[in-house]
Amino acid sequence: MKRFKGSTLLGGALSFALLSFSFLIFYTLYTAQETNLFTQVDSKIYGLLKFTIFQAFLSTVLSVFVGLLLAWALSHQTNFKGRSTLIALFSSSLVLPTLIVVFGIIGIFGRQGYINQISLYFFDTSFGTYLYGLGGILLAHVYLNASFALRSLLHSFEAIPKEKYKLAKSLNFSVLKCFYYVEYPALKSSLLSISSTIFLLCFTSFAVVLLLGGNPSYNTLEVAIYEAVKLDFDIETALKLALIQLSISVVLVVLSSSFKISTSNIKTSNTFIVWKNSKKIQTLQWFIIFVFTIFFISPLIVIFLDGLSANFTKILSDKIFIQSFFTSITLATVSSIITVIAAILLSNTRRNFSLDTRLASNPFSKILNLFIAFSGNIYLAIPSLVLGLGFFMMYQKYDGSFVLWSTFALITANVLMSLPFALAVIAPAMQKIAKRYDKLSFSLGLSTFQRYKEVELPYLKSSIAYVFTLSFCFSLGDLGIIALFGSDEFITLPWYLYQLMGSYNTNDAAGVALILLILVLAVFILIPRIFRSKNA
Amino acid sequence: MKKTIYLLLLTSILTFGNEKPTLTVYTYDAFAASWGPAPKVKKAFEKTCDCNIKFVGVSSSIATLRKIQLEGKKTKADVILGLDTAIAQVAKETKLFSPHGLDTSIIDLPNSYKDDTFVPFDYSYFAFVYDEKKIKNIPDSFESLASMPEDFKIVIQDPRSSTPGLGLLLWVKSIYGDKTVDYWKRLSPHILTITKGWSEAYSLFLKGEADMVLSYTTSPAYHMIEENKYNIKSADFKEGHYAQIEVAAIVKSSKQKELGKKFLEFLYTKEFAQLIPTANWAYPVIKGVKLHKDFDKLHKPKEFILMDGKEVEEKRKAIINEWLSAVQK
Repeated sequence: MKRFKGSTLLGGALSFALLSFSFLIFYTLYTAQETNLFTQVDSKIYGLLKFTIFQAFLSTVLSVFVGLLLAWALSHQTNFKGRSTLIALFSSSLVLPTLIVVFGIIGIFGRQGYINQISLYFFDTSFGTYLYGLGGILLAHVYLNASFALRSLLHSFEAIPKEKYKLAKSLNFSVLKCFYYVEYPALKSSLLSISSTIFLLCFTSFAVVLLLGGNPSYNTLEVAIYEAVKLDFDIETALKLALIQLSISVVLVVLSSSFKISTSNIKTSNTFIVWKNSKKIQTLQWFIIFVFTIFFISPLIVIFLDGLSANFTKILSDKIFIQSFFTSITLATVSSIITVIAAILLSNTRRNFSLDTRLASNPFSKILNLFIAFSGNIYLAIPSLVLGLGFFMMYQKYDGSFVLWSTFALITANVLMSLPFALAVIAPAMQKIAKRYDKLSFSLGLSTFQRYKEVELPYLKSSIAYVFTLSFCFSLGDLGIIALFGSDEFITLPWYLYQLMGSYNTNDAAGVALILLILVLAVFILIPRIFRSKNA
Repeated sequence: MKKTIYLLLLTSILTFGNEKPTLTVYTYDAFAASWGPAPKVKKAFEKTCDCNIKFVGVSSSIATLRKIQLEGKKTKADVILGLDTAIAQVAKETKLFSPHGLDTSIIDLPNSYKDDTFVPFDYSYFAFVYDEKKIKNIPDSFESLASMPEDFKIVIQDPRSSTPGLGLLLWVKSIYGDKTVDYWKRLSPHILTITKGWSEAYSLFLKGEADMVLSYTTSPAYHMIEENKYNIKSADFKEGHYAQIEVAAIVKSSKQKELGKKFLEFLYTKEFAQLIPTANWAYPVIKGVKLHKDFDKLHKPKEFILMDGKEVEEKRKAIINEWLSAVQK
């Protein structure tokens, strides 16, 4: 017991702090109201809620369907050049800033977008405006989430034993039958967890709805909170909305307690499926892969094309750009370091309670584990604008400069946002290390420090680098809390880009979008690579 | 050790030498932008005072008020510039602004607006602006606007954040009265999007995303004078046009009240009035300013509509909620 005191206490304290923090947010919001919450839930709020749920439901169904089709096609087409690159590209959608994706989507599907221009050129008609509203919101959500669903679905597809396929073939199953009897049972659990994740993400979607909603009737609760504060300064309404949002997302998180995010790097297996599908089915699979690849890549290409014509000497010498660039980089660095440390501490405590060699026999271990897991996932229950409003109320209540509070709010949000992903990567890795080396290191009597230096770090290095990268990219591209806290003194790159998009400066916006995209992709590709090569 | 002392001395001298008072003005982005009036106003005003003036641009006009409300007593703003007479009364109720105590009798406006807190600095008329080259049938009334073909799109501003947006609501309300909801329901298929501020809407229009944008009768002057383009025009509506008088005030928590007062006084001097037409593309608030000849080409409504600020304050919430329910699909 004594042996694990240090490792248990630190993470335990952190977990406790996180839980108390979420309670503090709730408490702050609840006590700040002047009238009781449930006395007046008017029809406006009801309409808002209806649309939020409606779009989240549609987005989820569409994203999962598209992701499933794609995963199915890719799992059957295992032998082509660039397959792993393609999959890696799709999985990069996880870190692509929402704002950038929307910017690219407008470039293609907007009224002046490429599709309309091409159609105008060849057929002399344009499709007009179809992007703003529900259509645009769904399009962006499918873009972001289908590729996200693909990751774990493909993983589940590839985990299906090839013998099952053989059996299905020998029974002469049709594609549908094969899906129903062989593939679907294997996918069921990940379909469920991926759907609940996507639903939650779309339910709390902010940037996409802010940019593509275009009309107060297309608001989600998150955007309505933002508007109540920023447009109307109607804090009372904002508090009400935030509490409704908070209660619903808590319920959702609890309901989907089986909730797991698989962020394991997908290994593309090239196992040859002996019997190939018919020509027709193969064509269909190629078609799916082709169409989605085009859909996925074209907004990024548009950002490159439009961005290249920007005046970079002007952008790079702009004072606000430099300020926002350094603010963003600093915030991202600080947040990702904190994320890594928090993830290690939490995972360290957690493994104590789940390993028989350690404290798993403790009667409270199960419930303690649950608490720790929940504390790492509180971001899912407290969406960013609710968190932001909580911070805002604290700023009004207590003293301190606005910039200081903004910085604090942003770093907290960034860390909380990355923690679920960070834990999903680090916790299993640390668990494995402990399982394998506990006996050896205990018998050698290594001190905690030695243990970390000699045993843990060499194995965790690439996971840490991956988590650092994820967190760094998340922070770099996030347009959430900053929408409440952004000001002339405190500005991040996404906020700067959002402002440029809203002004005459389309050219500069294209340039900044390109810079942000390159920055994120470079970090996402380079950092894990540096650590991997050193490790090898 | 000696070096550090010298260094300390040097920096203190430098900072002392630089210690001119700074006046911070919160205004909407189109005013504060490098291509907007701010640089010219800065230059002109700093000549008259021994001070620095700093314009802080916010995404929309009403957002300047919200920003000051958000920042509360800690706000850095000394002056708010760019609200209009419709929202000024609402702003006054927040008790965040102090009376100016100036003699503003020289100010000459289409109506006789007088206020102890807000000082007018320009005016214009709301109008829908279009590109002559792109659209053939130009609506000449709200009725014909609503009955345009379905793919005819307009961009308007959110009445909660933008004075033109609020102005349009008041404009429609004063024409349609009880039938306002019905009108908005008919118009709403034509609304491409509702932006937070004027500049966002205008840039969408310039990019060709919409056929018309809610702006001002004076907006075409920009394209004629700055770009030599004569194809951007404002649509003349039979029902008359709603006027906008833009105003400024001193923030109560300001430590630069005297300087703020000087600045408000500056807003109705000839120097400032001469800048306004070709910098903020609006009419000046005093007589005797010669306008650029292209201003003659603009459509200037003979009759205009303007609701009283008190009336707006009473009805604003109701009018906005009515509008919200009408545009919801």
